[in-house]
Amino acid sequence: MRRSEFWKQRLIGFLFPPESDNWLALLRFGLGLQVVLYCLSIRKDWTYLLAGNGGLISRNLSERIFALESPLIPRLGWIVTLGGHFGLSEESILSVVWYCLVTAGCFLFLGLFSRAAAIATWFLHLAVLKSADLLSYGMDNLTTIGLFYLMLSPLPDRCSLDWQWRKSRSKHKDLLGFWRRVLQVHLCIIYFFGGLTKCLGNGWWDGSNIWRALIRPPSNIIDPEILIRWKDLFPIAGVFICLLETGYPFFIWGKRTRTIWFTCICAMHLAIGLTLGMYLFAFIMIVLNAAAFGAGLVSRSRTESQRKHGTGIIDRRAA
Amino acid sequence: MTYVHLAGIESGYGFFAPNVPGTCKLVFELHYPDGRTETRVPAVSSHASGLRVATLLDKIGRPQYDSLREVIIKMLASAVWREHSDAKMIRAVFGVVTLPTAEEFEHGVRESSEFLYSYDFAFQPDEPKQANP
Repeated sequence: MRRSEFWKQRLIGFLFPPESDNWLALLRFGLGLQVVLYCLSIRKDWTYLLAGNGGLISRNLSERIFALESPLIPRLGWIVTLGGHFGLSEESILSVVWYCLVTAGCFLFLGLFSRAAAIATWFLHLAVLKSADLLSYGMDNLTTIGLFYLMLSPLPDRCSLDWQWRKSRSKHKDLLGFWRRVLQVHLCIIYFFGGLTKCLGNGWWDGSNIWRALIRPPSNIIDPEILIRWKDLFPIAGVFICLLETGYPFFIWGKRTRTIWFTCICAMHLAIGLTLGMYLFAFIMIVLNAAAFGAGLVSRSRTESQRKHGTGIIDRRAA
Repeated sequence: MTYVHLAGIESGYGFFAPNVPGTCKLVFELHYPDGRTETRVPAVSSHASGLRVATLLDKIGRPQYDSLREVIIKMLASAVWREHSDAKMIRAVFGVVTLPTAEEFEHGVRESSEFLYSYDFAFQPDEPKQANP
């Protein structure tokens, strides 16, 4: 009985640790910026990619597939139908959705009406993603994951305009630690299984997958003639990625190894962004990592620095 | 089922795993009434949109998209036809790009395309009329 009580307490302690809202501010900033950059990156093709008729592929195809799975999955068709009742054309509505998503992303970035902005961003982004599911890739899903947790987390945080100007406060600060823990565990699952499946492919051990990823259109932004000079490094990089991802759930928690793992993972994503041209994918992964495991590192090093130099200022309001 | 979609957790996390797949390619041959022939690929305005189109092509190259492949390629052909509405027929050639290994590349081997499917779509001036796979 005592043993079970001990484990229960440990589990509660793990799931509900005391936590500041630094991580939430990072997540909010990052996701706000991510959504704005996402919108800007496909601005010229927005209508072309999302049109029901007259675009690249019909949005209706994805929407019908999802409607079979569940009628409750958000999709642009709902908004288009709603706008149709007010006499708006599909093109106008898609433009309105783009502006709404950018605005919601900006509000999220600033922390203005944080909760409403988080819900609106999550809903609109998800509707766009599901309606263009055939054109979506991993980055979109990871953005949805981040927005989902952000929407449920106890907003606003201290860095937001809601806190500073509107004097709005979260009523559930005790859940700050819980939602960060959920994000942390989720990232561990993502990396572990991503790494494990990579370990099963022989191409990661001999480096051929690094080469293939770098010369594969449309990610072949570096000339293969330049890449080939570095071919001896590919096996090292392949093994390094396998170990980094598979080892993530084991080494990211420890105080001694967290800084190394966090830095290496962010460097890996930065390298992916720069060498494969997958800037948004790199950015969302760095944002999720920074929120999950980086926020503590920054505040810890700042506290240590303040302690060393004796310049610590106690924020009484925050305390 | 709805929850996993709302939370963004419906798909796996095997990015480029276990191995980096080949990439698919789609080329349209536009046939004009006067006998001219042109080739086009699905065109978008930015690298970010290009990544999405490449994702689409990779998806429809998978076996689970067998039933949808022709429908999607027809939509893509229609998008090309809207830009070239004087074409009477569009042949869509779908294939996979075979990438050389680093060693092969050093010996002068370059990427090549392997034919997988071909579809012919006949068009009328107003709208796509019929598909002849």
